[in-house]
Amino acid sequence: MLQKREKVLLLRTFQGRTLRIVREHYLRPCVPCHSPLCPQPAACRHDGKLLSGDVTHYVIPDWKVVQDYLEILEFPELKGIIFMQTACQAVQHQRGRRQYNKLRNLLKDARHDCILFANEFQQSCYLPRERGESMEKWQTRSIYNAAVWYYHHCQDRMPIVMVTEDEEAIQQYGSETEGVFVISFKNYLDNFWPDLKAAHELCDSILQSRRERENESQEGHGKEYPEHLPLEVLEAGIKSGRYIQGILNVNKHRAQIEAFVRLQGASSKDSDLVSDTLIHGMKARNRSIHGDVVVVELLPKNEWRGRTTALCENDSEDKASGESPSEPMPTGRIVGILQKNWRDYVVTFPSKEEVQSQGKNAQKILVTPWDYRIPKIRISTQQAEALQDFRVVVRIDSWESTSVYPNGHFVRVLGKIGDLEGEIATILVENSISVVPFSEAQMCEMPVNTPEHPWKVSPGEERERRDLRKTHLVFSIDPKGCEDVDDTLSVRTLNTGDLELGVHIADVTHFVAPDSYIDIEARTRATTYYLADRRYDMLPSILSADLCSLLGGVDRYAVSVMWELDETSYEIKKVWYGRTIIRSAYKLFYEAAQELLDGNFSVVDDIPEFQGLDKKSRQDKLEELVWAIGKLTDIARHVRAKRDRCGALELEGVEVRVQLDEKKNIHDLIPKQPLEVHETVAECMILANHWVAKKIWESFPHQALLRQHPPPHQEFFSELRECARAKGFFIDTRSNKTLADSLDNANDPSDPIVNRLLRSMATQAMSNALYFSTGACAEEEFHHYGLALDKYTHFTSPIRRYSDIVVHRLLMAAISKDKKMESKENLFSNKDLEELCRHINNRNRAAQHSQKQSTELFQCMYFKDKDSETDERCISDGVIYSIRTNGVLVFIPRFGIKGAAYLKNKDGLVISCGPDSHSKWKPGFLQRFQNKITSTTTGGESVTFHLFDHVTVRIFVQASRCHSDTIRLEIISNKPYMIPNTELFHQSSLLLKSELVKEVTRSVEEAQLAQEVKVNLIQEEYQEYCQTKGRSLYTLLEEIRDLALLDVSSNYGI
Amino acid sequence: MAGLELLSDQGYRVDGRRAGELRKIQARMGVFAQADGSAYIEQGNTKALAVVYGPHEIRGSRARALPDRALVNCQYSSATFSTGERKRRPHGDRKSCEMGLQLRQTFEAAILTKLHPRSQIDIYVQVLQADGGTYAACVNAATLAVLDAGIPMRDFVCACSAGFVDGTALADLSHVEEAAGGPQLALALLPAAGQIALLEMDARLHEDHLERVLEAAAQAARDVHTLLDHVVRQHVREASILLGD
Repeated sequence: MLQKREKVLLLRTFQGRTLRIVREHYLRPCVPCHSPLCPQPAACRHDGKLLSGDVTHYVIPDWKVVQDYLEILEFPELKGIIFMQTACQAVQHQRGRRQYNKLRNLLKDARHDCILFANEFQQSCYLPRERGESMEKWQTRSIYNAAVWYYHHCQDRMPIVMVTEDEEAIQQYGSETEGVFVISFKNYLDNFWPDLKAAHELCDSILQSRRERENESQEGHGKEYPEHLPLEVLEAGIKSGRYIQGILNVNKHRAQIEAFVRLQGASSKDSDLVSDTLIHGMKARNRSIHGDVVVVELLPKNEWRGRTTALCENDSEDKASGESPSEPMPTGRIVGILQKNWRDYVVTFPSKEEVQSQGKNAQKILVTPWDYRIPKIRISTQQAEALQDFRVVVRIDSWESTSVYPNGHFVRVLGKIGDLEGEIATILVENSISVVPFSEAQMCEMPVNTPEHPWKVSPGEERERRDLRKTHLVFSIDPKGCEDVDDTLSVRTLNTGDLELGVHIADVTHFVAPDSYIDIEARTRATTYYLADRRYDMLPSILSADLCSLLGGVDRYAVSVMWELDETSYEIKKVWYGRTIIRSAYKLFYEAAQELLDGNFSVVDDIPEFQGLDKKSRQDKLEELVWAIGKLTDIARHVRAKRDRCGALELEGVEVRVQLDEKKNIHDLIPKQPLEVHETVAECMILANHWVAKKIWESFPHQALLRQHPPPHQEFFSELRECARAKGFFIDTRSNKTLADSLDNANDPSDPIVNRLLRSMATQAMSNALYFSTGACAEEEFHHYGLALDKYTHFTSPIRRYSDIVVHRLLMAAISKDKKMESKENLFSNKDLEELCRHINNRNRAAQHSQKQSTELFQCMYFKDKDSETDERCISDGVIYSIRTNGVLVFIPRFGIKGAAYLKNKDGLVISCGPDSHSKWKPGFLQRFQNKITSTTTGGESVTFHLFDHVTVRIFVQASRCHSDTIRLEIISNKPYMIPNTELFHQSSLLLKSELVKEVTRSVEEAQLAQEVKVNLIQEEYQEYCQTKGRSLYTLLEEIRDLALLDVSSNYGI
Repeated sequence: MAGLELLSDQGYRVDGRRAGELRKIQARMGVFAQADGSAYIEQGNTKALAVVYGPHEIRGSRARALPDRALVNCQYSSATFSTGERKRRPHGDRKSCEMGLQLRQTFEAAILTKLHPRSQIDIYVQVLQADGGTYAACVNAATLAVLDAGIPMRDFVCACSAGFVDGTALADLSHVEEAAGGPQLALALLPAAGQIALLEMDARLHEDHLERVLEAAAQAARDVHTLLDHVVRQHVREASILLGD
């Protein structure tokens, strides 16, 4: 029975009148206590997680502690935490949504041993607020009362520690009840967790930053920034069109002055602004940080400014770069922030000399974030000197209008500056990637497959699944040395004469139950992360490399899509989806399959499955396999042709694949050996993805996960068109087909790089493909531009993509829906799915960024040790692909590096090339035209650089203490660079790339050998992360890139 | 301050109820001696008073008389002190007129009007305190009043509101929940037959969810029926004791 109480609230209205509001408040005898010690589990009705049984005490934080020390309570080492509802509500009302959501996620997270107890709804815990009692006192009293109740509820068997910051409460309640201790938070940490150093440090740092903040607010000196407008004003302003809402995007190269606001939401539709809005200067940016959702007020037209096109040293010369802005664009200033997107930032403490120059108050230190776009952060710490040589993680606490810089506190140390591990950790943190090794609880859920206990197909599953082991010839085609085989293929002739094509995908969802620990972990990771020298798997290797990998000659569970095709026309007559058991007969690699397809049987000896057979059966089996590969290729060609007729973007061919790779990984601008087998496998996967997309959409029209690729904006193509015109080509970008055709035609026979660069520009203009929930947008928007398919999803790589796992579950639910069976699985609702899609898209972007950044890191480490003046490897041929006012952008095909080269140096001297074509710096001026740039010296000599000109450049590394090092280029001659040994030049630079990575890692390891203790650690980590022992990094890297084949293509189009 | 969380992750609403739980209902029949029938109901903090006169001859213009059935005349008003801020006009505004019409539709469906041709039944409802679900409280009060007046009805009419928050249907919305602006549905049910006397919703709600919200409202209406039935039986018992048999 519920009991009714009344709560009287007195609120002040906007007009200033007092409003009396009476609200009901219902109390119940039983509220879930989530404790395993509960004497009446039936009455308490526990759902969700329980506190673990093996703790020595329960800890109940007071509302103030939850508000201020939530970060410490997030430590997984702290166990048995009971959050009282009163405390949670205090967080919600006083700390805003961001903090509250953090708390909510913590409570939901199964890995953290903490629960929420709804004390205000419990009959004997609820205390009405007394007349004249302050809110704070009442909250503390309620929490203490609930703590006492909880103690008695657990039959006094578990001591309870209430931690509070309120001295009076400690005095008053400290010894009131036996078994319920009231102590301060600092005291608690000292007594119960003396060894948890990280928590102590964090606690000190929070305390200190709070003290600083208090001091500051007392000082109350002059304001640096205008105040933000209140939320209601902002919302009304956005509605009326006076303000614009958008996401702040800081220009990386001019972080101090230039930022843009990308429009977002409804406001962009009805306003006439198409482009972004410029925010000029820190003042106008008004304390917003890159990524925040902000509200902008446009300035009057006469104050509009243009963006700067000059190349610019990152932060040193603000003024010099603003010499020739382009035409004015909408400019505004920020009046409010709707949502702060603060995350953890990696920063560097200033070196000793700088500290001294920072002056009197040595406790407050300005640190420089690794990301250029983030302003400097003020940290209060006494450890500054100790932390000088380290990369450090900090968090921003606040940014008052009286302060030039935001205030933050120190969280933890990542590693030494310049150290490979430290730098990689930096990249991970900056991309918000967290890759702790899989925990014990997670590994406990995994099936076992050891020589003593081999994993076997269970008889129950055997009955449920269709058995293809005897009937179908199943085989996989993958890159050499691939461990995680996601997909296998089969083809056979049916009795009716028709063909049956099958695509069999590893059944990951059989092993990964929804909402299990491993599922939660995989969802958080969302994808396998590939860095230049290592990878972080989404699933533990027992699944990814063993039980889910469709290896040759072993029984495996699979999810299959099988089509019945007409014998001659290859029209699809029927399709079947379902769970199966397969045994892959051959694990082929691409090159071998291609040889077989071409009728070259000499490779047979390389295929392990054929060894040890007698000649006769070997011949039969070979014929069978060759027929199957041939048939598959034939079908794939046919399907492909059909898609082309529908206007598919002709993105086949080497260059495109390379071009697509380019964005993901700039090393890959190298033609890959074009094999038709690649195409065949890719086409089969596309077909399977397409049909699965259709199926799940039909069954769940509002909650299916599909993948869309929106058509690109025409205005983004303008740079491409202009560049092409410079070479005399015309690019027609009206539709996907015309674009592909004109790109094919734009081929300079004397210089193949031109075409490559044009294609890479085309890719950059296109929008990214994204996952979405079908309930979230109209059916017309499902279209996939690159593939010219009306519906598309990802189904074929569940081992390394979480989206595929979701699609597998959807497909299984669709099948049981067809059979009129109750679906066992709890599908995501549209809203949850939308949220999940956003998360996966976001993680994919992070994966791409981290891969790119790690590659750049390796490039820099490679060139860092070289002496750029003498080393021959640092001089290379480059192509100009873009022109700026004070320099050019150059692409170096040999290393796949893009970089900037200045024509005017810091002293104002310009480049000039003498008759021997070697460059010198002389006084003079630059003139920029549409397609060329001319440098004239005062002596009258002049040199002109055109688009797509070949020049000789010297590569050197610009070291940076606070940020990542960058590659710099210097033009040393306006003639193409001739390599004496042409053989070397023609060698695919894959070789050079491997050389690069190898060399860097070797030198790093050598350096580490010096400190012997470290070596072991590193190698352990290598084993842990790389999971491929005993092979060179080169093969690993190759494997990663090949694995990326499908992934890359579907990201950008194919 | 962040917006109110209408349904917490643990499944509690702002006032401590769970999604399907009703507010506390208290009711009395026969509160006024002069009227033919009267009733008073409290649903949480929503309080309503209903009075019924009739069936009697048509008052005013005879032309309004219906040849085959009785005319049901409903008037709704809410007290000036019923809301947090004092109202100017207690009745006669658009909202009251609409509410009167809805009540009339509801009771035309429930009362056996064919039994009293060319006569009139007046139902007056006044809301004394409004805290969400006024329509439902009015219908429930009026039902009791009509029963008290002894006018034959097909069945009880039981009404309840339901809303939809974060994928969950909430029964019997309070004022806080209504003010949050989510979709809200009002349902008047004849519980024995499961027939719907009135269904009203004026916000957008996805088709897929409608069924669930409707089911929540119907279940709540059936719960209300159990309670009202109890009130009626109690009242009859007391009355029979007074009569002495």
